[in-house]
Amino acid sequence: MPEGLEMTAGKFTFRVPEDRLYTAEGIWVLSEVDRPSNRIRVGLTDYLQQHSGDVAFAFVKPSGARLSADETLAEVETIKTLLELPSPVAGTVVEVNPALNLTPEVINQDPYGEGWLATIEPTDWGADRAGLLGPREYLSHMQSQVQEELEKP
Amino acid sequence: MSKDQGRVVVVPCSGIGKPSGSVSREAAYELCESLRPQNTELVALSKLVLGDAATHETVARTPCVAIDGCQQMCASKMVKKSGGTVIHAVAVLDAFRRHRELKAEGIAELNDAGRKLARVMAQEMADTVDAIASAEAAKGESHA
Repeated sequence: MPEGLEMTAGKFTFRVPEDRLYTAEGIWVLSEVDRPSNRIRVGLTDYLQQHSGDVAFAFVKPSGARLSADETLAEVETIKTLLELPSPVAGTVVEVNPALNLTPEVINQDPYGEGWLATIEPTDWGADRAGLLGPREYLSHMQSQVQEELEKP
Repeated sequence: MSKDQGRVVVVPCSGIGKPSGSVSREAAYELCESLRPQNTELVALSKLVLGDAATHETVARTPCVAIDGCQQMCASKMVKKSGGTVIHAVAVLDAFRRHRELKAEGIAELNDAGRKLARVMAQEMADTVDAIASAEAAKGESHA
């Protein structure tokens, strides 16, 4: 587990690693574009997976699929809800986590590691990167979301 | 034949405020009150958590079916911690994976799909209870 930030609300603790970027919807983006692969890896944040409940099914667009930013990358159905997860970047899906077929619960067990969703080769990483949140910005956004949840009647 | 022979204890999740917890308990009621009342005994998880001596004793001497509402698996864990044996564990999540059309919603009152999922789980557990009772009966005959 990479170093990171965290917040605690009641019995829940939500972790935010500092080695990646985030979308407001709760998708993390780990850049690998400085490596020869020129890819990003994406997955659900700890907060999103805990808030959504135990994952029953995960369907990710297949490798080779071309996506525009915000187009649906994956559908994750939990015991509580159905999440339609938008792609954080425009690009081509390179690899889908094979573990999701038989053990989608890996998303709950290790959201920042073994529970990754896909790798994507971005079309314009520089442009899409500018629209993502840094760890502290995401933490602040998440704190607002948690506060809203706590204030619900 | 002892009064416990062929009987199982059923321990459902006590998750309050979650549909999957409600499904666990509905499935347990269906099994213990309607389908197999003669072969089952319903035990509240809270009694194990609170350390009720009589309940611990019952769990320790009787095969248990645990119904887990989520991946925390509190029912299975508490049976083991109480010295009992989980002879069969079922999870609401696994049942939902087999019956994707039955998505439980609602907490105080489950929706139709949630109630149906509970009935499906109860029926599956009833088959297990029957198998345990048959095995115990066969054991009893071979000892006679």
